[in-house]
Amino acid sequence: MIRVQSLSVDYRTNEGYVAALKGLSLDIPKKEVTAIVGESGSGKSTLLYSVLRLLPPGTKVKGSIIAEASDVLAMNYEKLNRFRWNRCALILQGAMSSFTPVLSIGNQIAETIIHHRGLSSREALLKTSELLERVGLPAAFVSRYPHELSGGQKQRAAIAMAISCDPDFLLADEPTTALDVITQAEITVLLAELVAEKGMGLCMVTHDLPLALSLCHNLAVMKEGEIVEAGRPEIILEKPRHPHTVELVESIRKLEEGSIAK
Amino acid sequence: MNTPVMSLQNVVVSFFSHGKRVEALRGISLDVASGECLALIGESGSGKTTALRAGLALLPLSGGRAALFGEDLRQVSKGRRVELRRRCGYIPQDPFGCLPPTVTALETVAEPALLQSSRNGKREVFEKSMALLAECGLGEKRIVESKVSTSLSGGQRQRVSIARALAADPALILADEPTSMQDASNRGKILEILLKRVNRGAAMVLTTHDLYLAAAAANLGIVLYHGHIVERGPTKALLAEGLHPYTRALAQALPRLGKKAARPPVAEKTEDFGPLACPFAPRCPERFERCRQAPPLVNLSPGRDAACWRS
Repeated sequence: MIRVQSLSVDYRTNEGYVAALKGLSLDIPKKEVTAIVGESGSGKSTLLYSVLRLLPPGTKVKGSIIAEASDVLAMNYEKLNRFRWNRCALILQGAMSSFTPVLSIGNQIAETIIHHRGLSSREALLKTSELLERVGLPAAFVSRYPHELSGGQKQRAAIAMAISCDPDFLLADEPTTALDVITQAEITVLLAELVAEKGMGLCMVTHDLPLALSLCHNLAVMKEGEIVEAGRPEIILEKPRHPHTVELVESIRKLEEGSIAK
Repeated sequence: MNTPVMSLQNVVVSFFSHGKRVEALRGISLDVASGECLALIGESGSGKTTALRAGLALLPLSGGRAALFGEDLRQVSKGRRVELRRRCGYIPQDPFGCLPPTVTALETVAEPALLQSSRNGKREVFEKSMALLAECGLGEKRIVESKVSTSLSGGQRQRVSIARALAADPALILADEPTSMQDASNRGKILEILLKRVNRGAAMVLTTHDLYLAAAAANLGIVLYHGHIVERGPTKALLAEGLHPYTRALAQALPRLGKKAARPPVAEKTEDFGPLACPFAPRCPERFERCRQAPPLVNLSPGRDAACWRS
């Protein structure tokens, strides 16, 4: 499990420090899906980036992040390098731009495997084809370039890359935004399958509450750098307690029921 | 029935891309009258935005007819076309590309109204723009006076773009995914602001990929796929019991409170059915031989049309 405790993050700006996370605590268990729901600017992405220490230099970080007995914030570069991808991988927001346009998809995924798993390039490419097939892409896509893939295909390729080193934890930042609804449903099902199959812990950040509820085991609602409500999704949905969660659930119910002044 | 505010008849729009002719709209017809809201539903690439732009004659038609306020846009003079367009408020999809970069939010909203009415005092226009910004939740002094390009988030820019489109009291509102960048708690509010104008007599065409949003906003909806109208009917019916397999796939793929993630009912995209086939055939779970020939859009029950051999 990844245990985040009393985490505070302050970004450095021209006008001084700005608090993005205000002492929040969260557990990300293995074999389950943890969804973090919040509106834009609530600090969801910052939370994910903190876990992999991807925050910009000069950022103040306080608190602790313990990933199965290892202290992430205390890791030196080498340990951190082994932690990233091997134990904890990230699917970035907007997979569209997370591949370099000048290398084939296969080479980029294989590069990760070679670097983090020490496989030969032949073995790595073979594994890459298998990975692509697992996420529903033809193996022949290894030689395709990012611009030759649709948005949904790129998202699948980003997932293939994220699971390429068999991580224990997968962090996903808005993994389905900018995708069509049908593609979104396909990707969501794929993520749920991978969690069940590999026993990974998935921590997914999204602004879409119904989407989060459709696959998560644990739900955390964020607002202004804090987790305002957390627990089992069915209980939160049944009886939201924080005013922000109440508003969120109400506004979605209203839209689904079509009860808007027409 | 009174004259439709916007009307498309058998509109065909084609683009050239990589030396190939791509048809973005393949003969679509739609009307929207004063006090009505029509939802154009479909995924990216289905032709929703092109249909809005064709309605304003912002792109050349390869076939068919587009009319605003009963006047054929190809028959009228350029000056008249501009006059007709000025009665329309267009909310483009991308709030990053559509707003002037160097002026403040307030000036951005006031600009179209200032251009149009010399008799209205400048002051009055600014007061009204202020009220509109406040209505869209952007009334804070800091926001009103900041430059759109440097200090506002995507969601805020989109609301500036909505206020701007409403500033000159348009008779027709064309809203291209107007809530795409809004947080859940804001989407309903934005919809209410737009529908208030419809209740006061404006016509509106709204594009979305979200059938719930369509049903909340509009009584009537059109489902587009690859530039074809595949179904037309009351939005509530489209959501609950679509006649076309694509409409049903769209409805089932939408996340909904209390529904677990499930594989959407679409087939593996494989076989090429040829250029004459039903556009949805390559992904349709119910395809059969007859789908090699595209089905026409036919009336199946009062107010409901679909283009599918099976329905």
